[in-house]
Amino acid sequence: MIRIDDLTVTFGTGKHAVEAVRGVSLQIAEGESFGLVGESGSGKSTVLRAISGLTKTWTGQMQVGGEILGQKRSPEFYRQVQMVFQDPYGSLHPRHTVNDILKEPLIIHRLDDKEHRILKALEEVGLGPSFRFRYPHQLSGGQRQRIAIARALILEPRIVLLDEPTSALDVSVQAEILNLLKRLRHEHGLTYIMVSHDLAVVGHLCERIAVMSRGLFVEEMSRENLRNGITKEGYTRQLLVASKGYDREAVDSFVDY
Amino acid sequence: MAERPPLLSIRNLKVSFDTPQGVIEAVRGVNFDVGQERLGIVGESGSGKSQTGRAILDLTGHRSRVTADKMEFDGIDLRNASRRTMRAIRGDRISMIMQDPRYSLNPVMTVGQQIAEAYLVHTSASRSEARERTLEMLYRVRIREPEKVYRLYPHEVSGGMGQRIMIAMMLIPDPDLIIADEPTSALDVTIQLQVLAILDDMVRERGMGLIFISHDLSLVASFCDRVVVMYGGQIMETLDADKLAEAEHPYTQALMSCLPKLDGGEEDLAVMKRDPAWMDIKAQMI
Repeated sequence: MIRIDDLTVTFGTGKHAVEAVRGVSLQIAEGESFGLVGESGSGKSTVLRAISGLTKTWTGQMQVGGEILGQKRSPEFYRQVQMVFQDPYGSLHPRHTVNDILKEPLIIHRLDDKEHRILKALEEVGLGPSFRFRYPHQLSGGQRQRIAIARALILEPRIVLLDEPTSALDVSVQAEILNLLKRLRHEHGLTYIMVSHDLAVVGHLCERIAVMSRGLFVEEMSRENLRNGITKEGYTRQLLVASKGYDREAVDSFVDY
Repeated sequence: MAERPPLLSIRNLKVSFDTPQGVIEAVRGVNFDVGQERLGIVGESGSGKSQTGRAILDLTGHRSRVTADKMEFDGIDLRNASRRTMRAIRGDRISMIMQDPRYSLNPVMTVGQQIAEAYLVHTSASRSEARERTLEMLYRVRIREPEKVYRLYPHEVSGGMGQRIMIAMMLIPDPDLIIADEPTSALDVTIQLQVLAILDDMVRERGMGLIFISHDLSLVASFCDRVVVMYGGQIMETLDADKLAEAEHPYTQALMSCLPKLDGGEEDLAVMKRDPAWMDIKAQMI
């Protein structure tokens, strides 16, 4: 479904050039859920942005759903690949109603039967038709993220890119959104790539997990290995230890990678 | 801790805000004591945890109304304290560490000058003494090249280093109590723990009290001695951090169970069913 070879993303030019992603390769099968974890600056979000087409300064080969990706992509690509962002406060237009927000992708892709599609999308994310004419400021953080998910799903995509979809939410709301994402994936046979700094969240939603650091893939592991703490690299082991909570002695053993 | 009187004692603390839409009650009758320990205050957004911390230092803003039956710090009644008294307490005896160093540091002063200023304001030290103390403090918060970092501006340091600088600034007047409001939430996990370790060591070595305000239940459980769980402006329960797994209150239990676990299964996460009764005003025991 997704095949990436030797992806490198560079920001800036000349001596200010920074390689945010350095030669990353991965393959994801249809229906799979793939997780990218790493600390800030590791390049995990940049990989997602390069796939989605938001970042243009990349080199390497990318193939999604049979289409070889260039700088310019087909409308079909943009329909098939949708993205959900971290901040539900920033990703919804404050002066558009939910109806406007959900209608826009339908207009862009010239889909008919808008009324029905909007109501169906709202229902799928667990919000009733009463939410249709509200503005984002009339919604809670969790409801906003549901709208962002509805906006991604309304085009019936095959791939959904999730960039820290729950890290701005309270844990109780995070649980609801994670359950929703899991249900939607099974119902629609979606392929996910999810980026997160939270190992437990990624382990919950993804079967395969790649750990990134400084623009490189440190290692790829299965969910089972993550659960059982089986890692090949010291960096991953340290990340796992740190994710388990505060331990004064463990902190002293941390090294800089 | 029982033999000493608590450092800070709070009874029936209420914070409300006057807004054009009416009065919002952010904190509705909170009781707790802090000794020389690490006390965690946990809650979701809107639980009133931050406003509780701010009310102690009279930092809730001019539109707020703060009342309490008792709010006593080391024998000083904070309720009727004059602005002058509060200024003398703030920073010197009780200091506060905020979430994001990018917004809390002065962007046009070097890091070293800001820390030195905190020392000069609260002591009668000379500038060269203040500089010495600042370098020593930077070293203690594990900044490797204090001399170099002293001359940097806030935008030139990373988030983790910025937070260590904040901690250095807050600790340099040697306060008795620190209120840390989500001090590490903007940091990566390994750096988060390193920063907490610094705070932990300082609290232990100097016998300070620490109020650690956080949304992160598992972090608080592993870092603090005692935990106060807040919801809807009230305390649901207060318990020892290592007893969180045996929490009695359904809200605490729900908070624990809706977290995805590293070694957890694939089944759906528990979803919190909010009981309206949690919002009822209740007489709370210490």
